[in-house]
Amino acid sequence: MENQFQDPSPDEAAASLNTLSTDRERLAASVHVPWVLLAAFGGVGAWWVSAAAATNPGENYEPPSSGWLALVGTLVVAYLIRRETGVRFRKMGTRAGWAIVAIAAACLVLFSVSLGLVSFGMQWAVTLTSLIAFAATTWLAGVAYRSAVEQLRRG
Amino acid sequence: MVETRFDETIHAPVRLRICGLLRPVDHLDFAVLRDALKVSDATLSKHLKTLATSGYVTSSKVASEGRGDARRITWLTLTRTGRSAFDAHVRALRQIAGSST
Repeated sequence: MENQFQDPSPDEAAASLNTLSTDRERLAASVHVPWVLLAAFGGVGAWWVSAAAATNPGENYEPPSSGWLALVGTLVVAYLIRRETGVRFRKMGTRAGWAIVAIAAACLVLFSVSLGLVSFGMQWAVTLTSLIAFAATTWLAGVAYRSAVEQLRRG
Repeated sequence: MVETRFDETIHAPVRLRICGLLRPVDHLDFAVLRDALKVSDATLSKHLKTLATSGYVTSSKVASEGRGDARRITWLTLTRTGRSAFDAHVRALRQIAGSST
């Protein structure tokens, strides 16, 4: 189809493409990592792991219902992060995917360890596993968020 | 086959930059986009209206009590048509610039 408009020169086209890259860089640089809300993810993880202290491991073990509440909490925090930053990412990147898998794995392992500690009557030690869950989840959520920002920078 | 098409609606400088920032995200807040482009509300609104008329951009508003003011967040997104048109336009620009693969 014939173009009724005048096409830009090669230099102008290259400049336009450069502008797009510069804008993405500027936007990515302006997106601050919402550490308080990422720490809220850590709080959710810690709270879920700490629920092991209230269980009774053994034959009468009944899994706590905190799993569903933790899922709801995670969705609420994700919503708050989008509203706080004004960005809803389309892609978060492979690194973010691995970080999310690592969060789930870490919390599951720490929950299992907590159950083991409770079965030995060491409920107090669940405080330590909960703190580890908090730190690990917060840090890995940060890794995932920075991965998403990097994806935004690349376009 | 991927389409290569120069789009005059998109190529206007501010509109090209709007599409360029909306393309890699799912949604972007109006205020974030305005600050990234360093343009006024009125300028951004005018160009968004043009893009919306062409079916390239849609917007939706939600309350923003969490921000401590009465403003509403205006989420902007490129439509599927908008993404296709922008991608085709970028390919056209690369072709013109001589960097098309």
